[in-house]
Amino acid sequence: MRELTIGSDAPGQRLFALGNEAIARGAIEAGVQVAAAYPGTPSSEILGTLAGVARDFGMYVEWSTNEKVAFEVALGASMCGVRAMASMKHVGVNVAHDPLMTASHIGAVGGLLLVVADDPWAWSSQNEQDSRYIALQAYIPVLEPSSVQEAKDMTADAFRLSEEFGQLFMLRSVTRIGHGRGDIVLGEISRERRQGSFRKDLDRFAYVPRGARMNKPLMLERFERIRKAADTLAYNRLQMVDGAKLGIIACGLSYSYTLEALNWLGLEDRVSILKVGTPHPLPEKLIIRLLNSVEEILVVEELDPFVELHVKAMVGGRNMTVKVHGKDVVPRIGELSTGKVGQAVAGLTGCSLPVDFTGLDRLEQDVAEMLPLRPPALCPGCSHRASFRAITAAAQRVAREYGEGVEPIYPGDIGCYTLALNPPQYAVDTCICMGGGFGLANGMAHVVEAPIIAHLGDSTFFHSGIPPLINAVYNKANVTMIVLDNSATAMTGFQPHPGTGQTAMGEEATVVKAEDIARACGVQFVEVVDPFDLKTATKTIEMAIRFQGPAVVVCRGPCATIELREKRQAGEKILPFYIDRDKCSPKCDACIRLLGCPAIIRQGDGTVIDASLCTGCSLCAQICPHKAILQEQTR
Amino acid sequence: MTGEFNILLAGVGGQGVILMSELLGRAAIADGLRVRGSEVLGMAVRGGSVTSIIRIGDDVHGPLIPRGKCHVLVALEPSEALRDIGYLSKSGLAIVNTTPVVPFTVSLGQRDYPDLARIVETLDSVVSKVITLDAARMAREAGSLLAANIVMLGALFGVELLPIKMATMKQTIEARFPPKVATVNVRAFDLGYQACRQSLQ
Repeated sequence: MRELTIGSDAPGQRLFALGNEAIARGAIEAGVQVAAAYPGTPSSEILGTLAGVARDFGMYVEWSTNEKVAFEVALGASMCGVRAMASMKHVGVNVAHDPLMTASHIGAVGGLLLVVADDPWAWSSQNEQDSRYIALQAYIPVLEPSSVQEAKDMTADAFRLSEEFGQLFMLRSVTRIGHGRGDIVLGEISRERRQGSFRKDLDRFAYVPRGARMNKPLMLERFERIRKAADTLAYNRLQMVDGAKLGIIACGLSYSYTLEALNWLGLEDRVSILKVGTPHPLPEKLIIRLLNSVEEILVVEELDPFVELHVKAMVGGRNMTVKVHGKDVVPRIGELSTGKVGQAVAGLTGCSLPVDFTGLDRLEQDVAEMLPLRPPALCPGCSHRASFRAITAAAQRVAREYGEGVEPIYPGDIGCYTLALNPPQYAVDTCICMGGGFGLANGMAHVVEAPIIAHLGDSTFFHSGIPPLINAVYNKANVTMIVLDNSATAMTGFQPHPGTGQTAMGEEATVVKAEDIARACGVQFVEVVDPFDLKTATKTIEMAIRFQGPAVVVCRGPCATIELREKRQAGEKILPFYIDRDKCSPKCDACIRLLGCPAIIRQGDGTVIDASLCTGCSLCAQICPHKAILQEQTR
Repeated sequence: MTGEFNILLAGVGGQGVILMSELLGRAAIADGLRVRGSEVLGMAVRGGSVTSIIRIGDDVHGPLIPRGKCHVLVALEPSEALRDIGYLSKSGLAIVNTTPVVPFTVSLGQRDYPDLARIVETLDSVVSKVITLDAARMAREAGSLLAANIVMLGALFGVELLPIKMATMKQTIEARFPPKVATVNVRAFDLGYQACRQSLQ
């Protein structure tokens, strides 16, 4: 028997899948023909999975340069009548916000779905934001799954709904859905493939003021039809318990936590539950039935009180007496859990949980104090470590000339290199959004007297680093802009981008180079350096900082993780470095203090290199003042 | 299977925690069990802490183990065994690999690494039984240092509480890897299983 995979044509079979794989499977089942995305945790595996099977299903899949473009790719395909999808993390929706607002006026020709991965607790994000508000603002209906299985089912169904109502839909995933795992039952795969065709329709597709005025009523009508249908969708389910005093409205994944919490408390037979799978628009009739049957309501949802506000408005508008709880007892920050929902329900019902949470809090706190911190770190052999050594050495040298106490400023950005905000690099002073470092540098340049060295990665440069670069040229900002080019979107899983010469579907592509773009933008100082040639890199960056006007240095060194993998596959030997104890000065510590490489560790009174971790990058040998670090000659 | 069985896998990026949960999930499905879980990915290759959750049973709905309800903790690294201590159940078990992976923050002098005895003692005050084993040694004996995670998977079955059949687990391992690697891994699994059995007797 052939092993079951995410692309298997095996309806009814069960597969153990990551939530993001399940979403990809839903798209496959729906016969999606175009999928586009920009990588971002926790959404990246959706497109990654589709890229792996695209050819088998006649699907076009791309990593776009940013989320706005990704959404436009999907919208353009939908305009031509085919089913299309864009996926992104929550903050990516901010980038795509502009076309999104007008897309909802256009509606969908071919089924159109935006998959958004929210990240409660900001596990891998710069903020926690609730994407449902963007959907509210844009009149986009939202599906919110309660499990990995439902994530697949909703995705598959979303395209049918989108075509039935002629509207763009949003699937709101969260970290514990996308990076949750579960058994999913596979469905039928649609084999329908449409020939895309663009039918000109200026009234619908070209938004001059007249278009906005003409299409807004149509959008509102579409939304009204969806609002009426919400009560009949299977994703919304009312489970009434006779005589229940408490009703719970549980949205998305919160429904799973609620079921477990009630089971834990032994309250299954005493509480009515409304499972909400469409937070926008809400199933109003079902909600009113529940409101009429109980004395108190608890709304359980992750992040903001979105459903809660709507329910409160419904209660207020009808002069009802039922008391509505929500974020007064359920945390607004971070992820929910069975325990958190259980505590909220216990508080409202007077039950007690069989676990002493205060005791557990104390235990966790005591243990945390004895644990070593284990933050993620730049990998051994990472070219960014070399780049940051060159950047900070050069910047400090120049800063001294500005006057006593003047520190260089490092507007940073989003990627692996954000980790340089930690010791020993301390080379990230700001981190706001993709491309934000270059933008902030523009503002700082006109008001402070200090070297400003902004840096971002290669993929981030293509994503949103180019407009602020042009801005610096045009508005004469005296800044140094560094592109940390490791030829990968490494933090999110090594996805290809325009600088890698490869597409999502594995085809060769034109290599777009950051230095060519910088020159074309009119930057007068543009250099490319190998960061592992530390001396030259430092000297070049120093020249760039001294240059009057915007200067660009591209630090180009491969991602160590990718390089190591390739070397291992090719059977190439890796010759690690070692520390010669006789030459090493025990009080020096320069290698540890300046580099923070996970391969260099203190052992007793001395310092050693863990040969199993060392990639042979040579950076430590270059900075060792005693020339005590040498490369093994054989392995 | 009614009820729930909760497993927490803890380790450091690169140790193969996610692979363990994948294998467990596949085997659970092969045995007709309902399975849920989750992990925080993204930081996994950069040496950070990694935990993965596997939950089996008909009463399981959510992706997270409720605090105080973890039946077995499998830690591929000693200090990581403590990081999620609040999830452990009083009647639960902890299986700990004794080989530390010292984070660079210790080299930078920010914190000391706790000694093994103290880690075991702390766990012992919470769970009913702590099983320690040298997975690195057994992995080497099995034929590959990379198989330490499979040794720990074997040890997990050694507690003989899992709703997954051992034969199914081994078949899943055999199906997942090329023959040579599969042989090493099954050997590693058996060594971990036996070590755990001995430790419990």
